[in-house]
Amino acid sequence: MKDYQVVIVGGGATGVGILRDLSMRGISALLLEQGDLAHGTSSRFHGLLHSGGRYAVKDPQSAAECIDENLILKKIAPHCISDTGGWFVQTKDDSPGYVEEWIKSCAGAHIPIREVSISEACRKEPLMDKNVLRVFEVPDATVDGFRIVWANARSARHYNGEFRTYHQAERLVTDKGQVTGVAVRNLLNGHQFTVHCDIVVNAAGAWASQLAGSIGIPLDVICDKGTLLAFNQRLFHRVVNRLRPSGDGDIFVPHETITILGTTSQFVDSPEDNDPQQEEVRSLLEIGEQLLPGIMKNRIIRAFSGIRPLHREDHDVPGVKEEGRNVSRSFALIDHELQDGIKGLISIVGGKFTTYRLMAEKVSDRVAEKLGNTTPCHTAEEDLLPEIPEHVYKKAARLLPYAPVEKMLERLQEDAEDVLKEIEQTPHKGQMLCECEMVSMAEVEKAASDEDTHHLADIRRKTRLGMGTCQGAFCTYRALPLLWQKKEKYDSLDEELRNFLNQRWKGIRPVLWGQQLRETELTRAIYSGILQFTEN
Amino acid sequence: MWDGIIIGGGLAGLTAGIRAAERGKQILIISEGAGSLTYSSGALDFGDVGQLLSHEDHPYALLGETVVHAGMEWFQNLFPDYRGSWSEFQEILTPLGAPRKAGIVPRSHNTEPLKNAKVIILMAPYGLKDFFPEIIKTNLLKAYPQCEVEIFPFRTGTFESWHTIGKPVTGMDYTKYWQSQPGVSELKRLLDSLPQTSGETVILFPGLAAAFCEPLKEVLAGTPFPVIEMTSFPPSACGHNLYSALKQKFKSLGGELLTGTGVQSIESHNKVCSRAIVRSKGRPTAFSADSFILATGGIFGGGIEATADTAQETVLGLPLYVPAQWTNSEFLGEQPYARIGIEADRELRPVGPGGKEVLFKNLRVIGRMLAHWDPWTETCGGGVSLATGWFAGNQL
Repeated sequence: MKDYQVVIVGGGATGVGILRDLSMRGISALLLEQGDLAHGTSSRFHGLLHSGGRYAVKDPQSAAECIDENLILKKIAPHCISDTGGWFVQTKDDSPGYVEEWIKSCAGAHIPIREVSISEACRKEPLMDKNVLRVFEVPDATVDGFRIVWANARSARHYNGEFRTYHQAERLVTDKGQVTGVAVRNLLNGHQFTVHCDIVVNAAGAWASQLAGSIGIPLDVICDKGTLLAFNQRLFHRVVNRLRPSGDGDIFVPHETITILGTTSQFVDSPEDNDPQQEEVRSLLEIGEQLLPGIMKNRIIRAFSGIRPLHREDHDVPGVKEEGRNVSRSFALIDHELQDGIKGLISIVGGKFTTYRLMAEKVSDRVAEKLGNTTPCHTAEEDLLPEIPEHVYKKAARLLPYAPVEKMLERLQEDAEDVLKEIEQTPHKGQMLCECEMVSMAEVEKAASDEDTHHLADIRRKTRLGMGTCQGAFCTYRALPLLWQKKEKYDSLDEELRNFLNQRWKGIRPVLWGQQLRETELTRAIYSGILQFTEN
Repeated sequence: MWDGIIIGGGLAGLTAGIRAAERGKQILIISEGAGSLTYSSGALDFGDVGQLLSHEDHPYALLGETVVHAGMEWFQNLFPDYRGSWSEFQEILTPLGAPRKAGIVPRSHNTEPLKNAKVIILMAPYGLKDFFPEIIKTNLLKAYPQCEVEIFPFRTGTFESWHTIGKPVTGMDYTKYWQSQPGVSELKRLLDSLPQTSGETVILFPGLAAAFCEPLKEVLAGTPFPVIEMTSFPPSACGHNLYSALKQKFKSLGGELLTGTGVQSIESHNKVCSRAIVRSKGRPTAFSADSFILATGGIFGGGIEATADTAQETVLGLPLYVPAQWTNSEFLGEQPYARIGIEADRELRPVGPGGKEVLFKNLRVIGRMLAHWDPWTETCGGGVSLATGWFAGNQL
């Protein structure tokens, strides 16, 4: 007896994209995620919505997919995207021959470019190195990974799609050469059970080979670790790329009040191997310096690493680890019935955030075909979320300071009404619990009581609590009473606090100098000194 | 020409200034900021002195037991509102209501009365920021299981218009009100209105900060039950009041305090410092003195600046002890970077690498600028600042 037509494993952008797509086609689907939605690679990247410019020369197909998806996402998910535009900048170290090839390739992939004069460039981006040679504008934009993942999940739920977080798919269940379900463990209470379905979609990203491996199917996913830095200022107005074959430290992506510099590339053995290292930070800064002279003087609030799951088709390549950038960033849809003779399993690996919707569409097409469902894909046309009604805007603007209003509405969408009602009734809940990211007490309270929130880190992903300049120094303490109110579902306050501070610390350790070190002294003064918390 | 110039006006610098001024010295303190006492609990931690004295390089070990002891005694004589004891820790409450040990504490913070209490009334001022009565209650019940804990919410008219617009009232705001004349009267009325129970009731009152405020102390002394306070989340009124009291004491002894601008360099000749050059928009200003004290507050105070590769002392460029590895993975555990600082001899004069050569004969280094200690894992921040400050002021 089956419980759902489809079970999707993996709650990153691709997984929730598939959940939404299938649900819109009327296919019953359940998504299983071992952590919180978007806890993996979908939140651990630079947040660039590619114009395709970065792939134009090396991978024209990816470039063409990127520009198409870029335009689609700007249309269907404007609240998750900031249309900053982007530049490709040639420095004196970058080959002029490559520039010419790039211009041609962009034309081939239909990526619109415009050359910007150096004087205009220096005026518009005053911190950029004045000695750059040529500058081209492309339709790059920035995207909020958490937000787009949650928007997909909400939209899917609207179409009866279901998802369970902190549920780990332990292994696939088979019957007579066919996958018939997934053995699941609820990581919060240890309960184990089996979900039966017609088709399992393996969208577990960096964890995908483990799932396939549970029934002995080889799936070669390379874990390519990418480390990035977050500066506490908006150093550039727009995305700034180096005009050269992609390498470490050659892209700056501004988000709201911060800037992200990325990205390194290094193969690692496990998806859990995501501690940013000091050497990676050094390498990023050295190269970043070429576009942003004096980069070391800027405060870095943290370093973080994500694991790009790259697909390598040829299993026979000897153990030599080639460089990550040379493995295709394009995605692979693997129908294991065709490849391995196992029915009922489809894996989707590789790809990039910008093309998540396209990947979901391709997977859903294949799934629908197998299930005999003929409803076409609508995800490119239908807005990810409904417009926020005017009266909600007005109410928010009346109750909250100007800056937090938009941020809150973009995060909460239709749930904003409940939060606003709470602030209206209890005005002090409108005060900013997180002063760096401007998150109200009422909003954190709501996030803390959501049924799919289980740890302080989940609240962070939903609200941005602790992600600003103070990196949790003040807001961790302030979140404690809200956790306490719902104490039955959280670990003890001591434990939540320790885990949260340690997670923040992981990203601060490799960039511990200047003002960030000063901030760390304050944080230690508060938690070790004033509150007298000790290590376990 | 001053007898002594102290660079930095936090706990260590002011302590040194007061001690020297008491001894009749003409002292100038030049301070870029306002110290970090306002970020502290207002209680002074000494840590396990006996144990720390045995750490060869620890500031306590440089000074020796007698000096640390003398500093502690001196402070209590200076400020009778504070109490400590060489032989035992004082117990106070954290902002979450958990008992903790400390060295010298405001008398009204000592939890002694809670040990025999049957009922604790936890006063809950409406809208008090960063104050979580329910969690405090849980922690109190854990620590004092013989007690009942009753939360007593109240509001004062003063902040009604703030509450209407949802503006938070910080502990500093409440304290300022309680210290005003209407505040004192209202506090008296409020405490009188509490149910008159037996002597086994204790009132726990956050956001009060009675130390150094005579009218408040008088009200509290007149109640039939003990009223105790708890430390607060920063900014702390209690820490701020201590800072103000230190400043006032220093000035009343004839000391001169120049705040808002830092010292950019010190001129010296043959290992003798002569003039402090003050940062200025116009012409740099120079101040001369016989002796100098460096109390610029370490990393947090701005006296030490770290880059990706190393750390620098910001006024004289003195050599620093810098460990090879700076951090460990457990945030609340030992972090070696905290021990970055200037190595000094037993007179607290900076020494060169190897520890032999004294770099400046008339310069002493105190407080957080010294190497080889960690105020957080050793809970000795107040003690080191006080003892080294007292010593430097005594020798000047």
